[in-house]
Amino acid sequence: MFETSELTKWIIEHGVSQMVLEILISMCVVSTIVSIARYVIGNKTYGIYAPIILAIAYSYTGLKYGLAITLVVIITSLLSYSILKKIRMHYITRIATNYTILSIFLVAFFILIDSFGLGLENMSNIPPLAFICIAALSDFFIKQYIKKSFKGSIVTLLGTILVAIFGWFVITRNFVSEYILNNLWTIPLLVVINILLGMFKGLRIKDLFRFRLIGKEDDK
Amino acid sequence: MINRIIKLNKEVLGLNRRNQEYVRPYNSPSSKAIADNKIYTKRVLKKELIQTPEVYKLIRTKKQLQFLDWDSLPKSFVIKPNQGTGGNGIIVFYGKKKGKMEWIRPNGTTMNQRDIILHIENILDGRFSMGAKNDIAIIEERVKTDSLLKQYSYKGVPDIRIICFNQVPVMAMLRLPTKRSNGTANLHSGAICTGIDIGTGITTYSMHNKPHTVFSDTYELIESTMDLKTNLPLSGIQIPSWNSLLEIALKCQKASGLGYIGVDIALDAEKGPVVFEVNARPGLGIQVANQAGLRWRLEKIKDVKIKSIKHGIRVAKNLFGGEIEESIEAISGRKVLNIVERIYIYDKSADLTKLEKYKETKRQLVKAYMDTGVLTSRIDSKLANRIGYLSAHKEFAKLGIPNKFENFSDAQEYIDKNEKSISESTQIKRLAKIVEEGVVKVRPVFDIPIKISDKIKITEFVSTESSDILQPIILGKADLTGYLIDTSNTF
Repeated sequence: MFETSELTKWIIEHGVSQMVLEILISMCVVSTIVSIARYVIGNKTYGIYAPIILAIAYSYTGLKYGLAITLVVIITSLLSYSILKKIRMHYITRIATNYTILSIFLVAFFILIDSFGLGLENMSNIPPLAFICIAALSDFFIKQYIKKSFKGSIVTLLGTILVAIFGWFVITRNFVSEYILNNLWTIPLLVVINILLGMFKGLRIKDLFRFRLIGKEDDK
Repeated sequence: MINRIIKLNKEVLGLNRRNQEYVRPYNSPSSKAIADNKIYTKRVLKKELIQTPEVYKLIRTKKQLQFLDWDSLPKSFVIKPNQGTGGNGIIVFYGKKKGKMEWIRPNGTTMNQRDIILHIENILDGRFSMGAKNDIAIIEERVKTDSLLKQYSYKGVPDIRIICFNQVPVMAMLRLPTKRSNGTANLHSGAICTGIDIGTGITTYSMHNKPHTVFSDTYELIESTMDLKTNLPLSGIQIPSWNSLLEIALKCQKASGLGYIGVDIALDAEKGPVVFEVNARPGLGIQVANQAGLRWRLEKIKDVKIKSIKHGIRVAKNLFGGEIEESIEAISGRKVLNIVERIYIYDKSADLTKLEKYKETKRQLVKAYMDTGVLTSRIDSKLANRIGYLSAHKEFAKLGIPNKFENFSDAQEYIDKNEKSISESTQIKRLAKIVEEGVVKVRPVFDIPIKISDKIKITEFVSTESSDILQPIILGKADLTGYLIDTSNTF
C-alpha cells in the first residue's frame, strides 16, 4: 500500500529484519496506548510490560485463541494458588509449581480443542514465546491477588486485557503497521506524544466519574 | 455537561495533578522514605513528642519469629507490615481465647498461632509491601477508641485523616470502620468516610465505597451508619480536641519534611490523639466526603508564607472553615446565622419597590443580636431616628401614652382602646407592649426593610429606648424562622 521508504530500506539492509522492526514499532505503539489508557482514561494495567507482550502475543495467536489461552492461564493460576496456599512453602517454589501446573493445563487445553476440531491450523507457525508471554500473565495476576484483593486483581486484569486487545487491534491493521514502517518519523512523534502525556495534569476520565458526586449536594 | 467537567477540573484534584504538582515537587525522596517506613516514622515523630502506638515486637527475620515469646504479648494487638500500603496486611486482634493460642479478630473469627506465623512470614517475604522487598513485621498496641467515636464505628478503630500543605491543614475526614471493612478504616475496604469542617471540627457529608460494583472507586453519599444496632446520623459530630488534632497534623508535617501530607490520627480513650501513620500520597476520596475540591484550596495557599503552626491553623479556619454551615443548609434547608450578625438596615426614604434593584439605596451596616427569647424584633430608637423615624417618634410622643403600666393586661387594654387613633398614623404600624428596664411599656412598631444573609425582607421592629440593649438591633423569634443560630461564632 505504501512505498517502502529509503530509511526503512536502509535499516533492513543493515541487518535489522523487517519482523524485528515491526515488533519494535508495535512496542512503541502499544506502550503509547498504555500511556493514554493510564493518564487520560485512568485504566489500571499490570504495569506497561504486561499489556505490550500480551498485545504482541495476541497478534501471533489471533485474538480468539489468545483470549482463550489467557482464560486458561487465569483459571489455572487461581486454582493452583488456592490449593497451594494451604501448603506452607516458599514463595518462589509456589510460583514455580504454579507454572508447572499451568504448562500441564495448557497442553491439555491444546489437546482438548484439537479433539473438538477447534485447534489452530497454523499452530506450528506460532512462536512458542507467544504462549510463554500469555502464561507470564499468571505471575502478574497472582502477585496482585496476594497483595490486594480478588476483585482488585480481576479489575486490573480486565484493564490489562482491554488495553492489550486495543493494542492488538491497532498493530494488526495492515495500513497502520505499513504506514509507520514506511514513515519512521512517526516514532519520534510517539516520543513527543508520551512527553506531552507525561505532563498532562488534567482529570482522567475515571476521575470525572469518581468525583462526579462532588458539588451534587450543592446543586440540590 | 461540558460546563460541569470544566467546573470539576477547576476545583477537583485528580491523580495526574496530585502527582505532578504536589507529590513530586513537595515531597522529597528522603521525606517519602520516612512516610513509607512505619518504624522510621515512629522514630521521627517521637522526637517531636507526638504519640504513636506502642511497639511490642519487631520481627525482622524468620528466626526471630521462631523464637517469639507469644506469652509476652497482650491479649489485643495489631500486626502490620512496616512498608505496607493501603492497609494491606494489617490484622487487628481484639482478644485471646481462654486457654488457647487463638486470637479473636473484629469480625469474630479466630486465628491460631500457626495462621499468624504464616501471615507474619508473608509480611517478611514482602507480600504486602511496596516493591515486594523483604519487610519487617510490627506487632503493636491496639488503640482503644475514644467513647464518642466508638458508637459510630463497627469494632475497629476510627481515625481522622488531615491533609496538610504548606503548613496549612487543607481538608480532613473521619474514617469509620464498618462490618464490611472488617474493622479497618480503609475506604477501599468499605469504611465510611465523613468530611470534617476544618473551622469547627464538625462532620459534614458522608460517603462509602459502593458495595457490589466492579470498579473500586464508585462512591455513594450516605447519611447515617449502616451496620450498627442503632444507626446514627453522621453529620454534626463534633470531633474532640479538634484544634490539637490540627496542631499534631502540622507537627507531623514539619517533622517528616513532607510538603504535601496526609496524617492519620486516632483518638485513644486513655492516651488522646495517637498518630497511626503519615502518608506521602494521600488518596483523593476525601474530596467526595467533604463535597469540596482540593485543587482550589491548595492553589489558594500555595504562596502564602506561614509563620507558625498557630498561623497555619488560623489561615485554614479562615479560608476553608464554614462548610458545616453550607452542609447544614443543604441538609436542613436552613441558613446558619451567627449569634451576632452584620445586617443592612434601609432608610425610611428608601423606595421599597427598588430595594433589590439598586445597591446604592441608602442603608446602614449594623450589628444585630439574635435573640430567640423575644418575639418581635427590636430597634434602638436612636438608630430608628437616624434612618428617618424621628418624625414617627414625635408622632408617637404626641399620643400621650403613659410611661409605664402595671402589667401586660393593662398595657394591652390601653392598646385595644387606642387602636383607632393609631391606625390613622401613617408612620406607626401598631403599638406593642414590651418590658423595658423592668418596666412594662407601650412602644411604637415600624416596618423596616433589612438585608440579612443576602435576603431583603420587611421586618417589624419595636422601637426601644432601653439602655441595656446589647446591639442596636435585636432580631426576635418571629424573624428567625428558617434560620439556625450558631452560638459559637460572631460574624
